[in-house]
Amino acid sequence: MRQKKAGGNPAIKKNRLHLTKKNFLKSWQLYVFLLPALTYFIIFHYIPMYGVQIAFKDFYATEGILGSPWAGFDHFTRFFDSYYFWRLLKNTLIINLYQLLLFPLPIIFALMLNELRNGPFKKWSQTLTYAPHFISVVVVVGMLVAFLDPITGLLNHVIMALGGESVPFLTDPDWFRHIYVWSGEWQSLGWGTIIYLAALAGVNPELHEAAKVDGATRLQRIMNINIPSILPTIVVLFILNIGKFMSIGFEKVLLMQNTLNSETSDIIQTFVYQTGLLEGQYSFAAAIGLFDSVINIILLVTINQIARKTSENSLW
Amino acid sequence: MKLNKLFLLFVTTIFLVLAACSDDESKENSEEAAKKAEENLTESGLPIVEEPISLHFMAGKAPTTASDYNEVTVWKKYQDMTNIEIEWEMMPKEGLEEKRNLALASGSYPDVFYTGYMPNNDLIKYGEQGVFLKLNDLIEEHMPNLTKILEEYPDIKKGITFPDGNIYALPTIYDPEFPSLLIGSKPWIREDWLEQLGMEIPETTDEFYEYLKAVKETDLNENGEADEIPFGGTSIGGLRQFLAGSFGINHNGRQHLYTDIDPESKEMRFFPISDNYKELLEYMNKLYSEGLIHESIYTIDATQSYALGSEGLYGGAVVTSAETTYGTEAGGNFVGMLPLEGPDGHRKYTDIGSPLAHMGGFVVTNANENVAATLRWMDYFYSDEGTKLFFMGVEGETYEEKEDGTIDYVDEIKNNPDGLTLEQALKDHITWLGGGYPGIVKEDFFKGAESYPSSLEAAEKLEPYIIEEILPKFTYTQDESKRMAALSADIEKYVDEMQDKFITGNISFSEWDKYVKTIKDMGLEEYMEIEKAAYERYLSN
Repeated sequence: MRQKKAGGNPAIKKNRLHLTKKNFLKSWQLYVFLLPALTYFIIFHYIPMYGVQIAFKDFYATEGILGSPWAGFDHFTRFFDSYYFWRLLKNTLIINLYQLLLFPLPIIFALMLNELRNGPFKKWSQTLTYAPHFISVVVVVGMLVAFLDPITGLLNHVIMALGGESVPFLTDPDWFRHIYVWSGEWQSLGWGTIIYLAALAGVNPELHEAAKVDGATRLQRIMNINIPSILPTIVVLFILNIGKFMSIGFEKVLLMQNTLNSETSDIIQTFVYQTGLLEGQYSFAAAIGLFDSVINIILLVTINQIARKTSENSLW
Repeated sequence: MKLNKLFLLFVTTIFLVLAACSDDESKENSEEAAKKAEENLTESGLPIVEEPISLHFMAGKAPTTASDYNEVTVWKKYQDMTNIEIEWEMMPKEGLEEKRNLALASGSYPDVFYTGYMPNNDLIKYGEQGVFLKLNDLIEEHMPNLTKILEEYPDIKKGITFPDGNIYALPTIYDPEFPSLLIGSKPWIREDWLEQLGMEIPETTDEFYEYLKAVKETDLNENGEADEIPFGGTSIGGLRQFLAGSFGINHNGRQHLYTDIDPESKEMRFFPISDNYKELLEYMNKLYSEGLIHESIYTIDATQSYALGSEGLYGGAVVTSAETTYGTEAGGNFVGMLPLEGPDGHRKYTDIGSPLAHMGGFVVTNANENVAATLRWMDYFYSDEGTKLFFMGVEGETYEEKEDGTIDYVDEIKNNPDGLTLEQALKDHITWLGGGYPGIVKEDFFKGAESYPSSLEAAEKLEPYIIEEILPKFTYTQDESKRMAALSADIEKYVDEMQDKFITGNISFSEWDKYVKTIKDMGLEEYMEIEKAAYERYLSN
C-alpha cells in the first residue's frame, strides 16, 4: 500500500479528501460492519487503558482511580529492587525464547504433511495431531501430574522397570521448562500447521511440474518452491508470535508451579497474579504488568522493523 | 459526514450508559434511613427488629457447605427468630481472595463480609479508608455477649485492636479451655505397627527416626510389597511444625512462623536463620533423603493423600483427626504422639494457635444501613445459646439432649439411613463445617473432628508440653503493612523456598551461610524492627 507522497499542492489535497469521502459514502455498509469490532476495541481495550495510571499511584478503592494519590515510580523501584526481579525476568525470557525456538516445528510438519498423498494416513495423522489442541489446560496439567509422578507416574514406572532411578520431573527446577514447553508443543503442533497447509495449497502446481521436468528432486522442490512460496505467511506469523511474547499461558505455569520448582517456574505473570489479585496490591501489580507490556511492545516493533528491512513483509 | 455524526452519537451514548451504571446512588436519604432503622429495633433480645429487614452478606463458601444458605435449617430458624433475612451471596473458597478484592476495588460490596477470611492488612487498609466500620463503641453498645468475653480474656481484646486503637472486625474465638481445637492438627502414629515392631511410642527424634526406618524396611501390611509410606500427608508443613519444638524454635505458636521470643534472652529473633533451625532442616533432610517422608508430598493433592491414608499405607501423619481424615477403619489404628525430645534436649509442643483464631470472619461495611441490628444478629453467636444453635442446630430436629445433660446429633444424622457421612448429612442443617466463621467455639457444643475421643486424648498428651506464650497475629499500621508486604514477599518467600530445597537436598547445607546472608541483604533488619514494634504495641494495648 505505497502511495505517492502528497505534495504541498492544496488542490491535490482537497481532491484526495473529496475522494476519500466519496469512497466512504459509496461503501458505507462496510463501515457499518466494522463498527461492532471498533466498539469492542474502544470499550474493552482503549477505555480501560486509563486505569494503567494506578501503576503510578497508591490505589485506594474508596478514592477511585482518579482520586488516589500519585506515587511516582515507587512501585517500579520496588519491583526492580526486589530480590526476585532478575529471576522473574530471566525465567520469563527463557521460557518464551525456548518456545520461540520451536517455531519452525509446525512448518516442517506442514511441509511433511503436504508431501503425503491424500489418503487415510494423512487424514489420520492430521486428526491425531489436532486433537490435543482441544484439551483444556487444567486437564493437561492433571495428565502431566499423573504421568510424571515420582512414584505412581507411568513414565517413572517405565524408567524404573528399565533399571533407572525415579526422576522428580514435577519438582525439579531443571525439568520445568522442558515439560512446560514440550507439552505445549504436543498440544499445538497439529493446530499450528493449518495456516501453513492452507498457504501450501495455494502454491501454483505449474511451478512443481516445471521443476519436475527439469529433474528437481523432491527436497529441491520443497526448498526452492514450497518454502519461498509460504515465506510471507511464515514472517507474518512469526511477528504475531513475537506480539504474544512475554504473555505465555500463565494459567499453565501457575498450575505446574510448586515451591520446589519456583526457581525456574516463577514468571512475571504469576507474580502479578500473586501480588495483584491475591494480595490486593493493585498498584504494584499494575506497575509490573505495565513493565511487561513495555518490553513486549519494544520487541514487537523491533522485529517488525527488521522484517520490513530484510524481507519486505511486515505487519505495518 | 452524516455518518460520522451518527457514529459519534453512538459512541457518546455508550459512554453515557457506562457512566450512568457507575453513578452513585444519592445519599440524601441516609439520615432518614438511619432514624428509621433505629426505630425498627426492639429493646433487646429476640426478635431483633419489628419490621422484617434484609441484609446482604457476602460469604466464603467451602465445598463442605450447602450451596444455598437460605435452605439451611439453622439459618431458616434464625431468620424466624430475628426477623432479619440474609441475602447470601456465595463466594467459592477457591476464588475467594480474587472475588473479595474485586468487590472492594470496584466499590460494590455487601453489608457484611461473612466467613470472608479478610486478612489483617486489608482490615486496616479499608478500615482507615472508612469502608469497614470502627466497632469499638458499637460492640459495647450492641454486643453484650462479646463484651463479656473480651473482658474475661483481655488478650483477645489486645489482639483484635489495630495500631490506631480501632477494632474493624469481629473475632473467631476458640475457647481457651478447649486445647484440642487450639492445637488443630496433631501428630499421629500407627499403634498396631508399633506393636508389630515391638516398639514403644517414640520419645526422642532418634527413636522417631528408628520407627520410620523400620516402617520403610518391614512389610508391615504383609502384602509382599514395600508400599508402606513412613510419613505422609498433604504438605511438609505439618511435620516441620511438629518437629520445631524439638529443636527449640517457634515459641509463639502457629501464627508466628518466622519470628519468636527467644526464651533464654527474651529477645525477638528471626529463627529461620538460627542454628536450631538448621539442625531441624538437617534432620528433615535425613528423613527425606532416606525415603522416610513420602516423595510426592510436594505435589500430591488432598484426595490422593486421603486415599493413601485410607488404604492404611501411612505410618505417621499430622492431621486433625486420623479417624475423620482416613476413615474409622484405617484411622482407628492411629494414636496420638508425644512431642519428641530433640538432640539438645528441647521438648515443647509449638504447633498451636492463639484463642483468637482469626479476625476477618465478620466485617461490617459502610454500605450497611442497619449496623445495630447486624451486630445484635452476630452477638447471639457469642452466647452459649447461639453457639448451640450455630453448631448443633435445632433441638429435636438435628440434636437431642441426653439424660446426662450432654447433647449430640440425632441418629438420623449420625447414622444416616441413606448412607451419608456425618459431614454430608449435616450439610443441609448447619454451615460451620466450612470454617472461617465468626463466633466462639466451645467443647460442649462442638462435635467436629477435634471433639472425637481420640483427638481429645491426643491433645491431652501434648498439653503438658505446650509453649507458654501463644501470640495472636500482630496488627500493623498502614505504612508498616505496606513495608511488610514488600519485605515479607521477598524474605518469607525465600525462606519457604529454601527450606524445601534444604529438606529435599536440592541445595546442600554448605550453602547455609549464603542463605543467611541473602536474607540479611533482603532487609531483615527493617523487617525485625517492624515486628518488634508490633509486638510491643500488642503488649501495651
